[in-house]
Amino acid sequence: MSEKAYEVAHLDELDRFPVDDEGLLWRPVRRRLGITAFGTNAYTAEKGDERVVEEHYEKDGHDELYFVASGRATFVLGDDEIDAPAGTFVHAEPGTKRGAVATEPNTTVLAIGAKPGATHVISKWEEIFVAFGHYRNGDESAAREHLTDFVEQNPGEWQGHYNLACFEALTKNRAGAIERLNRAIELDPQAKEYAAKDEDFDWLRDDPEFPA
Amino acid sequence: MSGSAHISDLKLEVGGSGWVPVRSHFGVSSFGVNAYVASEAGGRIIGEHDETGPRSARHEELYFVANGHATFTVNGDEIDAPAGTFVFVRDPAAKRKAVAKEGETTVIAVGGTPGKAFTPSEWERQAPVLAFFARKEYDKAIEALEELRAETPDDPTVNFNLACAYSLTAEKSKALEHLRRAVEIDSDFLDNAKNDSDLDSIRDDPEFSAITGQADAARSSS
Repeated sequence: MSEKAYEVAHLDELDRFPVDDEGLLWRPVRRRLGITAFGTNAYTAEKGDERVVEEHYEKDGHDELYFVASGRATFVLGDDEIDAPAGTFVHAEPGTKRGAVATEPNTTVLAIGAKPGATHVISKWEEIFVAFGHYRNGDESAAREHLTDFVEQNPGEWQGHYNLACFEALTKNRAGAIERLNRAIELDPQAKEYAAKDEDFDWLRDDPEFPA
Repeated sequence: MSGSAHISDLKLEVGGSGWVPVRSHFGVSSFGVNAYVASEAGGRIIGEHDETGPRSARHEELYFVANGHATFTVNGDEIDAPAGTFVFVRDPAAKRKAVAKEGETTVIAVGGTPGKAFTPSEWERQAPVLAFFARKEYDKAIEALEELRAETPDDPTVNFNLACAYSLTAEKSKALEHLRRAVEIDSDFLDNAKNDSDLDSIRDDPEFSAITGQADAARSSS
């Protein structure tokens, strides 16, 4: 086979992409190693009092297992609150609300997920997260290149156009933002509903050509 | 079920090393996940194997060193793996193993087959049985194994483990009967029979020699 039989990487070598303004860092594991049978990511909270797993349900039906690789976190799992020092596993079935906040500096949580009974499909959001990670790290050109490549490779998917529209809006490119948003709405009218509530577009909302 | 547990609370001592049956504890159904702990430096964490045998599902496997320090060997390449290292073995045919460089080295193994929905590995059906063995609750092990045998009477592992459990509870004739069955179905169990101390109570029985002798002869002529 042409691919290498194995890959090795240390947690410290993984990318650090900010996914919010609070300091939550996404550390792509699956993407780095080329895993295809299940999703794997790590999340790091460096300061030690910020969110390390966003509070969410798994809308796509993933069964998720979290492992506290370093530091300590408080998990919410359904109605329960769990103190989770390094070495703790937390399992969340798809319908269970889950989230975690770090309680020590340099807390890293691994998340492993896949959908029961189904062949694993690699989540496309990973590439969107990479692009906005570059943006939050101050590298606009890498972010643009990443989003543009994503849209070229997935021309029929409204989410790609929509996220590129967000990026254009964030970087104050009026024409680009409107053009991409129009394309997203053409592909799926729900893009309009999202845009109406998305603060990335706030400064464009009064523009006569703004479609949402 | 949704829930949480610390790795140290799930650890079972099996055959001199620690096994952490993560998947079966939580009922994870979409990928395989277990952890292995070597309590002392030099201890085996992952025995040498590949993922292509008749009981393997051609998994791609991700190993994560959660604690301590390990040395992995994949296809003859030695990999220094301190805590925090991921070793991803994509090729199911790659031979891989891991040995602890420090005490309490812990490795989490996650597996799945690319392009296929996950089904639990056959050997994992017996996870509760191994827990009973680890706690020396042999009567409960026998009960669980007899239920498995009712479902799959020709499973050699179930028969072999029954032989062990009956040997440990001094029910010699049942132990010998299941040992015979296990090696008839799969002669690979001959090596296990010769080395497993659980069978010591029947090892000097003439029938034990007869079973292993016949199986040896059958194996060398095949």
